[in-house]
Amino acid sequence: MKQYISNIYSALATVFIGMKITFKHLFVPAVTIQYPDVRVTLPGRVRNRLYVNMDDCIGCDQCARACPVDCISIETVKSVPGEDLGKTSNGKKKALWVTKFDIDIAKCCYCQLCVFPCPTECIYMTDVYEFSEFERENLVYSYITLTKDEVLEKKANFEKFEAEKAAQKAAPKPPAPEKPAPPQA
Amino acid sequence: MNLYDIIFYLFAIITIVSATFVVFTKNIVYAAYNLLLTLFGIAGLYVLLGADFIGIVQLIIYVGGILILILFGVMLTNKITDVPIKSGVLQVIPASIGVGMLAGILILIVTNISWRNMELTVPESTIGSLGMLLMNEYILIFELLGMLLLIALIGAANIARK
Amino acid sequence: MIFDYISSFLGAIPAAVIAGLVPMVFIIPFALFAVYWERKVSAHMQDRLGPMRVGYHGFLQTIADILKLIQKEDIVASAADKPLFNIAPVLTFTGSYAAFAAIPFSSAYIGANIDLGVLYIIGVSGLVVAGLLMAGWASNNKYSLLGAMRSAAQIVSYEIPTVIVILTLFSMVGTLNLYELSELQSSNMFNWMIFGGTVTGWKKIVLIPLMFAAFLIIYLTTLAEVNRTPFDIPEAESELVSGYHTEYSGMKFAMFFLAEYANMFAVSAIVTSLFLGGYHSPFGYLGNTIGITWLVPIEQFFWFAFKGIALVTVQMWLRWTLPRLRVDQLMVVCWKYLIPLSFLIFLIVSLLMVL
Repeated sequence: MKQYISNIYSALATVFIGMKITFKHLFVPAVTIQYPDVRVTLPGRVRNRLYVNMDDCIGCDQCARACPVDCISIETVKSVPGEDLGKTSNGKKKALWVTKFDIDIAKCCYCQLCVFPCPTECIYMTDVYEFSEFERENLVYSYITLTKDEVLEKKANFEKFEAEKAAQKAAPKPPAPEKPAPPQA
Repeated sequence: MNLYDIIFYLFAIITIVSATFVVFTKNIVYAAYNLLLTLFGIAGLYVLLGADFIGIVQLIIYVGGILILILFGVMLTNKITDVPIKSGVLQVIPASIGVGMLAGILILIVTNISWRNMELTVPESTIGSLGMLLMNEYILIFELLGMLLLIALIGAANIARK
Repeated sequence: MIFDYISSFLGAIPAAVIAGLVPMVFIIPFALFAVYWERKVSAHMQDRLGPMRVGYHGFLQTIADILKLIQKEDIVASAADKPLFNIAPVLTFTGSYAAFAAIPFSSAYIGANIDLGVLYIIGVSGLVVAGLLMAGWASNNKYSLLGAMRSAAQIVSYEIPTVIVILTLFSMVGTLNLYELSELQSSNMFNWMIFGGTVTGWKKIVLIPLMFAAFLIIYLTTLAEVNRTPFDIPEAESELVSGYHTEYSGMKFAMFFLAEYANMFAVSAIVTSLFLGGYHSPFGYLGNTIGITWLVPIEQFFWFAFKGIALVTVQMWLRWTLPRLRVDQLMVVCWKYLIPLSFLIFLIVSLLMVL
């Protein structure tokens, strides 16, 4: 009987304690962040969408080799002599036309391994995190600054140059005595 | 045709149609649910006859209690994951003899009684007088019935404990 | 009441139809509001915000949801029992709608002023049980059937303490008519049944704790009858998906939802009219003070809706506070605690009334 009454008492008491707690929580400010209207400030070193600053890219392919998921694909064309590609911001001379620099951001695992090998620090992670698309193809980002025609032109230029060089090498054998030239320095 | 008639025919149709279904359907669960409608219709008819307490007791006890029990029985005694629960036709000849005799008696009674026509009035509530009767005139029967139900309850609890 | 008033200039048959549809005008907005309210209350109790984007603070969210539900395909599982599957939501809603006929919303509106009001409501709520069992069985899904079975077992056993508490009240006031019962609790907050009704003297002091206990008991049992947490084992999301309405979608699901919320208000309304003074204001009426008599029924309706919604809010509050009871605990609470206690209260109150 004593147990019975104490059961009733403890049931009621615990219910009221629980109700008190939930009632208090009615007035606790919500932790919800109203996302599209309000955004959390991201930490400084956050890793989100990759960005390539093509002005600084020398087409060295190191980032593509570092990528563990092979989401970066780079094609380059050698420049022909006489063309000036300019310099990167840290003073390196560019020697390659970058004809393809695609990052499939859908594959990217945000590991940042491509960022470290870059000699010119032109590939880095930004804090942009809203880039959903309806088509998966739209997630393949192309960063090249050259237009399609320019790419073709550069390729044609290079092929022409190669062909010329090959023709030079192939045709006139006679003027080749200077072959055993000592390696300079 | 006034409102009273409309409601009466509504309940009468519910009662009769569902009662026929109870008899003729082969699916036991359909029969049980049609029985629900039958009992509901009868409750409505009771109320229309001015027996409001009986009507509501019909609802509470038959619809809310016994029918739920029947449904429980039907659903638990069969394989509950299986929808088709059928009942067959058994013992046609003895059944038809028995039903025929009952029907004959009923028809005899209905045709031989001199029915009285009553003026249509808003019926008074019966619960007060009913309570008075139960607690004064029929107190002994009332108490005895209570005892009987209590005994049944204790017996059921005793069986359930074993 | 309203039927007589309308039939005086429209005739009996249209009046019956109109008077029958009047509670609908209340139930549908109430259900829309209550769903929104439940989501908001639960959200704020969990330190969330709840719906915020449709309308001001998400106020139109439930309307958007209903529009979505209307557009949805009406799926009937191929192994289900089609006729019963289609009837079940209607039967369930009929049961909870029929209860509104005997609820006194204000002194000017009560659907049917019958002497057996409360018993009638308990009677027609049997239809709800039948509807739930039908839904669970017709879905041909073991979770649905289990949910329906639990629901029926629970409702049938929790009806007993409810009825005993109601009997206690009737032994005090001597009427089963909800309208008369509400009128008995008029004029003063201390005439409410929870404070012992119109009884005076030392009996009232003895009655107050008893009536409080009776109020708690009937509140808990009605909570169990509408399958709300902590008595929500019939729909237990974590074990039975969602019980009897697992297989339902679109408007049929909306119908179950409507029936559930209508039921929540119906039981709160019963508790209100039995214990909390029905439609009577605790403070007196503005209409009486400034002499506009037609304002009084409107104020009464406001108070009735206010008390009902307050009790519904407490139901929600409990839902987000307490965990679900186990089946055996549920039966222990009913048969070992609520029924004996309600019997005890019944006996003591009857003795007091005889003295």
